[in-house]
Amino acid sequence: MSSKNNIKVMPGAIVCEESKLKGDITIGSHSIIHPCAAIVAEAGPIVIGDYCLVEEQAKIIHRLPFDYAEQENAPVLIIGSHNVFEVDCAVEASNKIGCNNVFESKSFVGNKVNVTNGCIIGAGCRITEEQTLKDNTIIYGSNCFQREGLDRPVTQTAQIDTLSKMLPNYHHIRRPLKKN
Amino acid sequence: MELQDITYNKSEYVETASGNKVSRQTVLCGSQNIVLQGKVIIQSDAIIRGDLANVRTGRYCIISKEAVIRPPYKKFSKGVAFFPMAVGDHVFVGERSIVNAATVGSYVYIGKNVVIGRRCVLKDCCVIEDNTIIAPETVVPPFTRYGGSPGMEIGSVPECQQDLMIEFTRSYYQHFVPSKLI
Repeated sequence: MSSKNNIKVMPGAIVCEESKLKGDITIGSHSIIHPCAAIVAEAGPIVIGDYCLVEEQAKIIHRLPFDYAEQENAPVLIIGSHNVFEVDCAVEASNKIGCNNVFESKSFVGNKVNVTNGCIIGAGCRITEEQTLKDNTIIYGSNCFQREGLDRPVTQTAQIDTLSKMLPNYHHIRRPLKKN
Repeated sequence: MELQDITYNKSEYVETASGNKVSRQTVLCGSQNIVLQGKVIIQSDAIIRGDLANVRTGRYCIISKEAVIRPPYKKFSKGVAFFPMAVGDHVFVGERSIVNAATVGSYVYIGKNVVIGRRCVLKDCCVIEDNTIIAPETVVPPFTRYGGSPGMEIGSVPECQQDLMIEFTRSYYQHFVPSKLI
């Protein structure tokens, strides 16, 4: 709601300055935001957990629903830890996103969708209808088939470690908060 | 059929000595790791991630608007490594496509809105249709046409694909001209 940007970066996170961050955003430690990623907190604050990976052209938008009555306290979009947002995905979920999810390239998640833990939204899949994805759901193919995965997707901590060493050599990094 | 002239604003593009035309609106991360062999066109808002690994393109490549060229990664027992990416000559990459391939051969046509999964190998003279999603680590053989999600072989391309792509990329380059000042 407020037009001013209030971005909190926890220690250990790598947030490139070329990323587009708008609104009240908190980024957990060891998360990586690539250049040209867009995070827009229109409706209320966005809190991103630890070890999240947001690649370029990914859009995380916290938008006000159309049938939304003005409330006193703005809803907060909480994104868990170990989530991967791949190139050019668009996530508009407004309630809560759990942990260990993978949003592959060019996927789209509408704002009525509730994403729990360990879900994989395959490349190019669009889910817009109001629903709650159960744990370890995998959505894949051109018809957006759903099935349950046997296991959670592997975490990308190794990639995050590599990137956190490489990216500061090439990009200007937003300064994290100092530890008090 | 002669291609229509595609005009651009002269102040928006930088032309190098070897004939590369690169928009100022592109995001070239780690530009010291990006090699463009000459006569390459990179249009506005394209992203090339040279910061992850070396990216090397051949001559007469056309990277359209908002396309992403991104070296793939591979997981090893200790950590992750990003692999250098090589793109051959006379390659066309359509708008909003994401190329995560390990190598792209020569005379390859990649349509719009395509996702090429990580560490794919596109051999010479293949065609990827619009809106295709190619799963990671796929090898696309020469002279095939891929489409769908997940991308599968849906046909073949004529043997003259090499000449067609040379003709197409050359004429595209020749018709990509700055708009005339009035």
